[in-house]
Amino acid sequence: MNVFNSRTTRMSGLFAAVLCCGVSFGCGTSTSDRDTAPQSEQIDAANSTQTETRLQVFASNYPLQFMTEFIGGESVSVSLPVPADIDPAFWTPEPDAIAQMQTADLIVLNGATYEKWLSAVSLPSSIQVFTSGGFRDRFITIEDLVTHSHGAEGEHSHAGTAFTTWIDFQLAVEQARAIRNALAERLPEQQEQLDANFAELERELLALDEQLEEAIAASDRQNQPLLASHPVYEYLAQRYDLNLQSVLWEPDVVPDESEWQDLQAKLSDRPAQWMLWEGTPNPESTARLEDLGVSSVVFSPAGNVSDGGDFLAVMQTNVNALIAIF
Amino acid sequence: MTVTHSFYLAWKYLNFNRLKTATLIACITLVSSLPLALNLLLSASEEQLMSRAKVTPSLVGSKGSDLDLAINTLYFASEPPDPITMASVREIEESDLALPIPIATQFLARGFPIVGTTLDYFNFRELSLASGTRFGVIGDAVLGADVARSLGLTPGDSLVSSPETVFDLGGVYPLKMNVVGVLDRTYTADDRAVFVDIKTTWVIQGIGHGHQDLAQPDAEELVLEREGNEIVANAQLPQYTEITPENLASFHFHGSTDTFPITAIIAVPPDRKSAAILQGRYEVTDAPLQFVNSPQVIEELLIEIFKIRNLLNLVFFLVIAATLLAIALIFNLSLRLRQSEIQTSFKLGCSRGAIVQLIAAEIAVILVVSGGLSAIVTVGVSHLKQDITRTLIS
Repeated sequence: MNVFNSRTTRMSGLFAAVLCCGVSFGCGTSTSDRDTAPQSEQIDAANSTQTETRLQVFASNYPLQFMTEFIGGESVSVSLPVPADIDPAFWTPEPDAIAQMQTADLIVLNGATYEKWLSAVSLPSSIQVFTSGGFRDRFITIEDLVTHSHGAEGEHSHAGTAFTTWIDFQLAVEQARAIRNALAERLPEQQEQLDANFAELERELLALDEQLEEAIAASDRQNQPLLASHPVYEYLAQRYDLNLQSVLWEPDVVPDESEWQDLQAKLSDRPAQWMLWEGTPNPESTARLEDLGVSSVVFSPAGNVSDGGDFLAVMQTNVNALIAIF
Repeated sequence: MTVTHSFYLAWKYLNFNRLKTATLIACITLVSSLPLALNLLLSASEEQLMSRAKVTPSLVGSKGSDLDLAINTLYFASEPPDPITMASVREIEESDLALPIPIATQFLARGFPIVGTTLDYFNFRELSLASGTRFGVIGDAVLGADVARSLGLTPGDSLVSSPETVFDLGGVYPLKMNVVGVLDRTYTADDRAVFVDIKTTWVIQGIGHGHQDLAQPDAEELVLEREGNEIVANAQLPQYTEITPENLASFHFHGSTDTFPITAIIAVPPDRKSAAILQGRYEVTDAPLQFVNSPQVIEELLIEIFKIRNLLNLVFFLVIAATLLAIALIFNLSLRLRQSEIQTSFKLGCSRGAIVQLIAAEIAVILVVSGGLSAIVTVGVSHLKQDITRTLIS
């Protein structure tokens, strides 16, 4: 009844306004070198090789780019707009890159707060696919608020939600599945091929998962304390129940004295014999670690393109390296 | 006496009695053009209301007046409905039943509504740019054609959001927005809106803001308290009121996006079945939100308008009849007043027929001029009806 009254009032107002206007009018009162090339050039170069019939996809990191290319095959053209010397997790897109992403057919995102730049950038929701959306309840929260800086991307913090989801290979399968689904929605005629490619990728990822799980389970050192040079291994540690503690070191930067002292304090509590690194560490760091009885092993998250082969090859190297210390 | 002579004398007579002639012409013009103009405007209003509702059939918003929700979401007019949260957008997105386009209309910029949304809105409405680009980052604004024309703004200029209340010092700060694009004219409510990313409305609202990094040593004088990982700023901490490439990275949002406010959601289902399922989810009694079928709501509004229109047509008919009778009376009285003039003409040898011809010529001139003016008014209204009705609806 109130709704009706409200409508009648509004309608009368609208009608009166039309009438008044009509009267007043009637009265006559009317009146390829990814390291150095700018982002836009990299994207242009990538686009120039694409044919119009292929689905134009942007991925926010290398694992997603690899998975999308693996599943989509010849039907997709996948661009990674992040320069090779920048960690995609701390990248900020330039206006040209934003403009080009806005016109893409699909933007494959990691989610889990990986793409910090999304909070300041406008992209159509309809072309975004958050590959970790299906396991939001399994996200890991990091409590520390320490900020630090390194490399070209400047200062950053690892506080909030852990985002290196793909190094838990079961989660990587879920992300690949989300990509398959998003591609199938846009390429329904390719469904069979997409399913076949996804199945192959799933097999590869689960094989890696199985190798690691079996090796750790069979080891009598499965509870050994481990150190990580950077807080990026949360999902790996959770999946394989690793006894892992992180510091905030960079492979290419030799830690200062206070950081060494912090490490020694940690080692007195947890006598770790191995430290996981994202990349090959500085020899000076490894030598000093050896003096403390800590050996180094590289487990690369492969966030960006590397010289160590494709994503699966890098992950196989990682798995082999990790198995070797158990 | 020839017809030409009759019209010459009639013209001279009407020209001599200008006030009376002008009054008669104005009366006849009004009486003839008003119903036509009004019907044109009503038809255009109905057409505009209905066409926009038809292409935007599914709306989701807070419970309350479905008409208010539809009018505000479709035409950015009337008071914004009670806010809902982005969690509802996520729920629709995850259901795969529709593409949800969030709409936030609670702020103004120099009298024009700021419409916070996503770029999907541009694709959905098929809005094209007359100049510039679509918004790329928070703080960017794309203007409707009328906003740009009225305010004289082009890409590269800036536009400041209006403070919600002048005396609320702790309230919403105006945000200086960067105009990055102007839309082509659409003859819809979009022409009179300022479009920004939905996140920009949260910055205007104070949910998101940018300021100096308090973790830095040089920000010590701005820190009130440090406790573990928590840093509390004192009142001296200035917040940026303009988003620039230099300070863009410092802008951040507090809390979960799921809790951030919007005023409504335009749901774009892929098919009727999805639309029906989505509607069903909101029709259970304990649903916190309502689903509005906007064509149905607008049609109900138009039915009421039709009833009033019929009433007005009757009124117009009576007014026209009364006016015509009054005009006939004026002519009759005028003839009586002109008896001596007519007698003089008769004595000068003018025949009775010539006198009738003379008076008929006077009436004809008045009717022709009135008809011409009425046609001009009607054509003018017809030409401007989209603008007029859009202004009235907005």
